Amino acid sequence: MAEATQNELRVRLVTPDQVFIDSTADAVELPSRSGYLEALYGHAPLLAELGAGEVRLHGGSVGEQRYFVAWGFVEVLPDRVTILAESVIKPDAINTAEAQQELERGQKMWNEAGEESKRYSEANRIIQEAEARIASAASSGK
Amino acid sequence: MANVLDLRRRIRSVKNTRQITKAMKMVSAAKLRRAQQRAMAARPYAQMLASVLDSLVRRVDIYDPETGELRHPLLVARPEKRVAVVVVTGDKGFAGAFNINVLKAAQSFIDASESRQLEIDIEAVGRKGRDFLRRRFVSARLVEQEQPEHVQQARQRQARVEVTGDHPGILEKLSFDRIGRFGQELVTRYIAQDVDAVYMVFNEFQSVISQRIVVERILPIMEIGKHDIASATEMEAEERERMAGAARSSQVSLQSEDTREADEEARKFGTAQVDYIYEQPPRQLLAELLPRYVSTQLYHAMLESVAAEHAARMTAMDAATNNASDMIDSLTLIMNRVRQAAITKEIIEIVSGAAAI
Repeated sequence: MAEATQNELRVRLVTPDQVFIDSTADAVELPSRSGYLEALYGHAPLLAELGAGEVRLHGGSVGEQRYFVAWGFVEVLPDRVTILAESVIKPDAINTAEAQQELERGQKMWNEAGEESKRYSEANRIIQEAEARIASAASSGK
Repeated sequence: MANVLDLRRRIRSVKNTRQITKAMKMVSAAKLRRAQQRAMAARPYAQMLASVLDSLVRRVDIYDPETGELRHPLLVARPEKRVAVVVVTGDKGFAGAFNINVLKAAQSFIDASESRQLEIDIEAVGRKGRDFLRRRFVSARLVEQEQPEHVQQARQRQARVEVTGDHPGILEKLSFDRIGRFGQELVTRYIAQDVDAVYMVFNEFQSVISQRIVVERILPIMEIGKHDIASATEMEAEERERMAGAARSSQVSLQSEDTREADEEARKFGTAQVDYIYEQPPRQLLAELLPRYVSTQLYHAMLESVAAEHAARMTAMDAATNNASDMIDSLTLIMNRVRQAAITKEIIEIVSGAAAI
């Protein structure tokens, strides 16, 4: 268990299988549904839903770290950040070809959705996730 | 009387069997240890999800101020006319009464519902349960109906109890992804009022000596963080003793690890006594979280069931190994007796032959 020193956030990333990370950081970037947000020490308590994107940890004991999450939920408290994520993957482990396929599937679905708003939103979700996945893989320098 | 050679052959064969059961026991013990760890590691997430939901439900007025109705369909209980029952068994046999116990509980649930004229859709998880339930009940039949725009699948109900689905391979490699989809399917059916409740029959596993077969209602969600147990069968004292014996001889810890501290920590998630800023409207958060809560419960049940299956197999194989040892002992005794008798007979023949001269 990481002990947070002063002005550091204790960050935990929890998946259904395990506690994925338990460390400290100076700042955490979070891919909220409505855009990226950054939490620093002393942030006001916040609950937010995360969309597809990268969780980035800056500073702290281990330096910069990035993780791709597909869906998540975060609680920010002044001295700690806890993220619940359904799946976590390191950006350099992302399979770009698979993501590309997924993107095409989403686009096809979007084109075929017709009048149904439900299928539109489902297609949009798939497209967004695939795009975020590709972007995340690209920025990791592959 | 059997001759020495035959007996020797039988002993050898029993010895081989013993070796196999012993190996299976060891494998099960190792798998059990791993399954236990997985179930342990999965707890923080489940706990956190439950506590944040709990606090959300308390903060958000879940009742509509105008109509007085509950805002989320998963929280609404309806009179039960048709229910889905998820029966979680194992994929393989050789696990003592593990599969039978679960199926018995499912059967008694189905029997008990007969007087209420309850229609039941069975979702079988695990190959053993699927095979059994398929034989006993009819499978649901989907009929394609031509509609002006697209083909729609409609069901024709043939019997009170039907098997609507199975999920082969889901237990082999438990992934939250797949179980999440299954959970989503159940949630959709509940919201579409296709079913009025979802029950789950599985073997709950706290530790090797603390297990029970439960019938739990997972939908509608009545109280978050509480298990809504419809019925439970505790394991018998004799069974528990055998489990404990098997666990001791294969170095599996009897007590579940002490997770109170971690649990306490997880319980605090999202429940600090402060006013949170909600990035999204709380109702939207609730709508996203509730289906996931259902999936988490399913996931957890399956993790526990897998651990219980390995524990049951370990116990069964321990018993089989012990029985094989007993058999070898008694066969060896008989063999020695037979050999001794033959020697004695020969001596008598020689002696009486010598006496006759």
